[in-house]
Amino acid sequence: MNKSRRSFLELLPFGVLVGVVGSISGAAFRFLRPRLSAAPDQWLDVASVSELSGSQPLAKKVLAEQISGWAISTEEHNVFVLPAKNQVLSPVCPHEGCEVMWEQSRNRFSCPCHESFFAADGSRISGPAPRGLDALPTRVQDGKLQVQYRLDNEQERATHA
Amino acid sequence: MSLPAEPVSDKQPNRLALWMQSTGGVVAVLIVVQFLTGVLLAFYYVPSVDHAHATVSYIEKIVSSGSWLRALHHYGSQWLALFAFLHVLRLFWSKAYVDRRIGWIAAVLLLVLVIAAAGTGYSLPWDARAFFSTRVAEGLMGGLPFVGRLARLWLLGGTSISTITLSRFFALHVLVTPFLILAVTLWVIVWRFSRKTCWSNVSRNAIAGGLVFVALALWCLKYPAPLGPAAEAVSAEYLPRPGAQFLWLYQSLKYIPGGLGSIVGVVFPGVGLLILALLPWLNRSAKSRTPLLGRVVLAGFALWIVTTTIAAHLSDRRDPRTHEQLARQAAQESAWRSEPFMPTSLQSSQLRSQTSSAGGAPVLYLKFCADCHGAHGEGAQRGTLKFPPLLDVGAKPRRTPEDIVDLLKNPPAYGLQPPMRSFADKLTDEQMREIAAWVVTLKK
Repeated sequence: MNKSRRSFLELLPFGVLVGVVGSISGAAFRFLRPRLSAAPDQWLDVASVSELSGSQPLAKKVLAEQISGWAISTEEHNVFVLPAKNQVLSPVCPHEGCEVMWEQSRNRFSCPCHESFFAADGSRISGPAPRGLDALPTRVQDGKLQVQYRLDNEQERATHA
Repeated sequence: MSLPAEPVSDKQPNRLALWMQSTGGVVAVLIVVQFLTGVLLAFYYVPSVDHAHATVSYIEKIVSSGSWLRALHHYGSQWLALFAFLHVLRLFWSKAYVDRRIGWIAAVLLLVLVIAAAGTGYSLPWDARAFFSTRVAEGLMGGLPFVGRLARLWLLGGTSISTITLSRFFALHVLVTPFLILAVTLWVIVWRFSRKTCWSNVSRNAIAGGLVFVALALWCLKYPAPLGPAAEAVSAEYLPRPGAQFLWLYQSLKYIPGGLGSIVGVVFPGVGLLILALLPWLNRSAKSRTPLLGRVVLAGFALWIVTTTIAAHLSDRRDPRTHEQLARQAAQESAWRSEPFMPTSLQSSQLRSQTSSAGGAPVLYLKFCADCHGAHGEGAQRGTLKFPPLLDVGAKPRRTPEDIVDLLKNPPAYGLQPPMRSFADKLTDEQMREIAAWVVTLKK
């Protein structure tokens, strides 16, 4: 058997393997590609405007319907309403995404993960967070304060742009 | 992939016989295909009775290339069983059990494992077919002599088929059998290449494997893998039919009186395969003589499988009612394929214990009723099954909240038919009252 023929024969099994793996990989790329779901801009009820008063941030829960692939679920999100400024703050710390909590006694928000602190109006006091808490888009409809819940405003703006 | 135009060798006396020796390559390629497609399917599949069918539907309908990859896995498993059997036949023909014992034993083990993998995989989509095949597996295990009761309990993970059973089949299918197949395959590959390697032979195997893969890939472009209605939505007329590699078992069980099914379906094949695996030792004393025992077992298997498979096809074709029902099922399946995918409702654990905000559906309604009647009581359609809307139901006769509570306990008493079932064992009276109170408020 001459040399070139032999090396061809030795390569052939690998060629077949590459062919099989390659054609499945092509399909695998499409199969695994993340599905970009357009963020549904649902307006979620937070509370009646009449019950919002005072200078303290109020913790409220909103329910958002979320479709992820084959599943549809109702997610509960915490938000903080600032009645004085008519603003709703996202609880997501702009550092690494943990949820901040309101410390009534010290009049500040604190992040349980990496000790970022925020003032009652959401502005950054100290810690690794790059900025204050994000405000969510709001509107008033039929006497109810509504909000669009987004995980990360900054990122959202970037992908919309 | 390119194939050589000229024949591999002109000097060989019998080229056909040489190509017959490439079953090993085909088996190897098909195993690679099963591993790759199996890993991919696991990215979406969820092994639980309330999500399995939804995730498989999602793979079929929504995910790009999902239908093709699942078809590769489905039909690939049937082709693999066929070629694994042909591989054993071919090795027997060349008396591998005398001078290539490891190759022989590995081939018999692979055949067993491939059948085990196919059997456990059958349950995973949790469609009607899967449910019935799980039932048959349960019956076969339960009927085994001596160990039947325990074997059945251990297979099911309890006294009846449940989501635990599905998890067991999943673990066996994606972890246990693949690991064993991988171990046997690596063992045989190491053994194979530690001997003198004839590269033209290896190449012939590779070419055969490649050609079979191309044929399988084209077949799967044309024929998607079957998926029946979800196990809980199956109608009484549904006729389950197993995959091609189990038709012999399905047909044989028709002829055999109940108690003996396990003997014929499990014990006979098991003993036969054991004899084949032990053939190198059984034939030790008479190397040159015809191994009669092996011939009997293999010829018996081949004859049995071929005749029962043909009989299964013929009997489905001959009986006009069966034929019609199977045609109806095929039509339902293709209708289902063209329907849009409906996501399954999923409740986060936080919300499970509480009711959602005022005006919304009670959480238990979303959990038990919304799949069929819609999250807002708007009704739904699955295949040809229409689930009625609940809007304005309170205006109908015999549908006061008290009636609805009774109805949930005993649907037939209110003239309702399956798939509507009793929730007496799922919900307390108070929970039913909560659902009923909300349902009667629904307006168009």
